[in-house]
Amino acid sequence: MGDRQIDDLELRTLMTQYQSADPAALNELVRRVSPSLLRYFRASRFGRNDAEDLLQDSWMKIHRSRHSYRSSEPVMPWIYAIARHTRLDAYRKQRRMAEREVLVAAVPEPPQQRSSRTATDDFGEMVSQLPESQREVLVMLKVSEMSLEEIARATASTAGAVKQKARRAYAALRRAWNRDSRNAIRP
Amino acid sequence: MQFDPNDSELGRRLDQLAGQASSASVSPELQKKLQDALGPSLVPVNPIPSRTNLSLLFLVVFVIGAGGLAALMKRTGLHLMSRVQIGAMASILAACGTVLAAELAGEMIPGGRRMAPLWAKWAVCGISGFLGLAVLFPWQSSGNFVAEGWPCALMEVTFALPAAGFFWLLARQGALLMSPAVGATLAGVAVVLALIPLQSQCMFQQAPHLLVWHGTAALLLIGLGAAAGNLRRVRE
Repeated sequence: MGDRQIDDLELRTLMTQYQSADPAALNELVRRVSPSLLRYFRASRFGRNDAEDLLQDSWMKIHRSRHSYRSSEPVMPWIYAIARHTRLDAYRKQRRMAEREVLVAAVPEPPQQRSSRTATDDFGEMVSQLPESQREVLVMLKVSEMSLEEIARATASTAGAVKQKARRAYAALRRAWNRDSRNAIRP
Repeated sequence: MQFDPNDSELGRRLDQLAGQASSASVSPELQKKLQDALGPSLVPVNPIPSRTNLSLLFLVVFVIGAGGLAALMKRTGLHLMSRVQIGAMASILAACGTVLAAELAGEMIPGGRRMAPLWAKWAVCGISGFLGLAVLFPWQSSGNFVAEGWPCALMEVTFALPAAGFFWLLARQGALLMSPAVGATLAGVAVVLALIPLQSQCMFQQAPHLLVWHGTAALLLIGLGAAAGNLRRVRE
């Protein structure tokens, strides 16, 4: 039995205990799952504060929906399905707010300080050129380290469709990578 | 995961960046805040029934609803249809009702396995319904097309709206993550339920009437369901 399977079995036990109102199980779940969810939000182009807000929103939704978890199913896809919904809602909210905003003056953006950037920002930047559906798959695959089957469950899709999106994402990144390399070589 | 053996360099770079990103951690303060926020409302909950049981529940409601309405009404349409038409339409409507009921049950439990994408299920239902009506029923129209048609559309709406409300009450027992797709699926089950008694009592068993008045009302209701799903998501 691999580490992932053991981890999943432990998470299933914790979820069942959480459903039985065991506070220790809740604390352990928060401790184990939150870092993964935070990375997922950070890699999905949200700043540190927004990602932490999304993490809290996700936990509130998880808490309200905890009766809908069944112990026969893997835990992470269930959690990620809820987190994904929270993230999509946040995107839409951001978009609505951006549409309502009125540009008062064109203020030049301050130059970004490299020192304040993190690896998550770099990863987000690297995949930012991809369409949303491909980016989501790549983030779950690479940052959250989920399997194709888990991603398919979390995104209400099929494993075949997820694999295809991942292939397309790779192809698009490869094209961008080659383009950047050529530009770098050019004098 | 490597999808292209030629992309080892890209794969390494992605793995490296993702690995560094994985070190992003949750502060102890935030963890404590989360535990404090959730702890006070921690009460035991009963897990939701399995997807199969939920699907069966929807199917029972579907059969009772459609059968009950059909039993209460005149069955003029059934007398006008041939056995082939009755058999084909009953099979198509029952299959679509089953598929959409199972889909709705799946939506109540996040993170479930999907055998086929939702769009494919909708496509199969839509195409089979359209072909069933277009191929099996005569392309002729009798009398006043509009005057004969709108009461059917109205009746379909009258049947479908309360059915959708009832399915919504059942479905919200789960963790419905509202979206246009969920709203459309909910409306879809209700529409199929409404189409069964409507078809069995309709005295205009002709393709133009069925496609325009029964079909258009169905599409409008499903569109309304999708819009309601979207509105609900925004309000949430």
